[in-house]
Amino acid sequence: MQAELEHAQPENLISGLAAKLRRHALWDALLLFVPPVFAGLYVIGVPLGTAWLGEVPMLVSAALALFFGALAVLLRYRPAVPSVSAAAQLLDRQAATQDHFLTLATVEPADWPASFLARLRRDAGNFGRLVELKRDFPYRPKSSAYWSVALSVLAALLITFVLPLAVPAARSVAPQERLRALANEIARKPELKQLGAKLLALAAKLDQPKIPREEKKEQAEELKKEIQEQQKKEEQKENRDLLGQAESALDGVEQQQAGGQEQKDQQKGGGGIDSNLKQEGQGKSEQSQGGSGASKGESSTQLSTDTQQGKSAQGNPKEPGAEKNQKPGDSAQANQPDPNRPGKEQNKEQMAKNQGGGKEGSGKEKSSEEPPPQGSPADRFYKNGEGKDGMKNAGYVTVQLPEELTADGKGESRAAKDSKGGRGRNQVPVSNVPLPPYVPNAPSEKQQVPIEYRGMIR
Amino acid sequence: MEPEQFREVFKRLESEVQKIIVGHDDLIRKVLIAFFGGGHVLLEGVPGLGKTLLVKSLSRALGMSFKRIQFTPDLMPSDIVGTEVLTDANGRREFQFKRGPIFAHVVLADEINRATPKTQSAVLEAMEEKQVTVFGESHILTSPFIVLATQNPIELEGTYPLPEAQLDRFFFKLLVTPPGPVELREILKRTTGTESGEVAKVLPEDDATTVNEMKQLLRQVMIAPPIEDYVVRLAHATQAEAPNGAQTSFKQYIRFGSSPRGAQSVILGAKGNALAEGRVHVSYEDVEKVVVPALRHRIILNFQAEAENISADQVLGEVLKRVSRN
Repeated sequence: MQAELEHAQPENLISGLAAKLRRHALWDALLLFVPPVFAGLYVIGVPLGTAWLGEVPMLVSAALALFFGALAVLLRYRPAVPSVSAAAQLLDRQAATQDHFLTLATVEPADWPASFLARLRRDAGNFGRLVELKRDFPYRPKSSAYWSVALSVLAALLITFVLPLAVPAARSVAPQERLRALANEIARKPELKQLGAKLLALAAKLDQPKIPREEKKEQAEELKKEIQEQQKKEEQKENRDLLGQAESALDGVEQQQAGGQEQKDQQKGGGGIDSNLKQEGQGKSEQSQGGSGASKGESSTQLSTDTQQGKSAQGNPKEPGAEKNQKPGDSAQANQPDPNRPGKEQNKEQMAKNQGGGKEGSGKEKSSEEPPPQGSPADRFYKNGEGKDGMKNAGYVTVQLPEELTADGKGESRAAKDSKGGRGRNQVPVSNVPLPPYVPNAPSEKQQVPIEYRGMIR
Repeated sequence: MEPEQFREVFKRLESEVQKIIVGHDDLIRKVLIAFFGGGHVLLEGVPGLGKTLLVKSLSRALGMSFKRIQFTPDLMPSDIVGTEVLTDANGRREFQFKRGPIFAHVVLADEINRATPKTQSAVLEAMEEKQVTVFGESHILTSPFIVLATQNPIELEGTYPLPEAQLDRFFFKLLVTPPGPVELREILKRTTGTESGEVAKVLPEDDATTVNEMKQLLRQVMIAPPIEDYVVRLAHATQAEAPNGAQTSFKQYIRFGSSPRGAQSVILGAKGNALAEGRVHVSYEDVEKVVVPALRHRIILNFQAEAENISADQVLGEVLKRVSRN
């Protein structure tokens, strides 16, 4: 009875409707923006599932998506919140009154006679009995909400189906992230637990910028050797594959560290004319340093560029690392690599597998792709624009590289430099012929006749 | 006085006048609203439509004193407001103020546009100030006081159209339209037979107290701020825009818009309408009902409107369409 009386109060009716309309506005805003936020979270989660995106970036992205979603809801909701007068007008319309509720909701009671207010309240109360908030003001989602859901679902589906097709080539996981993921996986195996822990420690170290790159690189090399040994000992194929992946991840780490170092050196040296000369020089220098395996026959600069471009790393056809020419499409074999990882990594992984377990297949693969060992290679082994004699119709830029400058400083012989692959620098013409003796007031050898006297002299 | 009493008196007044005036219910209501709103009314219509009869009937029903002034070009201000005359009382000669016809509760200024501007302004000053000044002495007019002026829209020769500033002093300008066939038949029936209608007095003779209480009650009617805003927006919409500003379709015809008095009239008229309908608060509909009579004489149209035969009513119709309630 008391509740009924309260409900009959027109002021309560107005405030009840205003609250209801506020909830409607909130629902409208939520239904508009929550589906895109969920779609966004899903889109963020897909790369995580495929180890494309690390946990931290994923969490940051998810937090950002949630933040912007909440902000959008707030920005949409606040202006849509109906005022009390708007609610009163809706009641007036519903009860077909002549602005009774509007007047009651908006007038200042102190300004008007109490008897008038009482009468207005009474009249509005009578009309209020005709209105039932639940029945007369139900919530109906707006068309924008349906659109939002439909578009979000569509976007999520597109991402689900199109991303695996479009992205593999463009994917490049940070080596330490990949290493960490593999380390976790390895650590789960009881027999490889120790190795997994070491890999995790290395991954943690890689994240610390204070530790020098050399130290990181050394540790990576040590671990790599350890992995290779373990790989030889390992009998289970699954473990061997896992170790092979870890090894390739360590390769990536090494290259990253080396690339960073070279970039630094380049900035310091002031060189930077990008030409094939530089690539050749670096490639050769590396070859002369190590030359331990197939994977070392290319310049790190080239590697990084290729990785960025999403190509599979292609070495110089003349170099022995031709196995890398294997395309992703060739991977339909027994040890099928993960198509979601970059081509270069796949190749390395494949190589690791071949080295570790699949001994019988490795030699055949190499022979099918390498150029013939003797005589000039076939044209197909050269890059576009290159031939037997080097680049075809190419204009060379002669530059003095920072290494050459260093070599000059050390007094290294020209022949030695040339043997390293540096091109001969142009000879700058110089002369020690003495100048003629200085005679004061002497006419110069050729004195121009002023133009106005030329006719007279003739 | 209670709102119910107001409504009862109002209804009785309406019905009494309707006994005599056929087919002008809305006109009668608006004249009564203007009366209780404390304003004056300008009635415009061709001769013979019952303007004078309406005013006479109204004054009788109200039980108020009634005077009629027929405006002619030779009418002098003193003929309206009164003058000092030399009297001889008990052997003493002295000037005594002789009140003119303006000293009545209900004054009919018939064909007000026939008088000279000087005479017109004498009436209009009395309308605004509710007092007249003769030979430096002010004389307060009786209260309640209402002037119902009439003018003929077709006979313009020899007339002095009311200046805009003076038109602004009228609460409403009401158009008296010719009756329709049904109304005309009723008029003929009532006026050509043996029966003649008689207006009964609703209020006692010269009961100024009741009328003033009713006027006071009208001002107490509540109006919601959004409705006040609506009136403001309506009045503002009638303003002509700056010459270089973008002009909407109807504003191109406006030379001068409504004055603040226009908005005042709208609100008071709306309050009167609300009370007449038995409410103690103003609704949007009340406002819309009185906008046109309250503002039509306050909007000055330009030559373009005249050339295109656009009336103030058409402009106001457009304003009402364009200005939203919220």
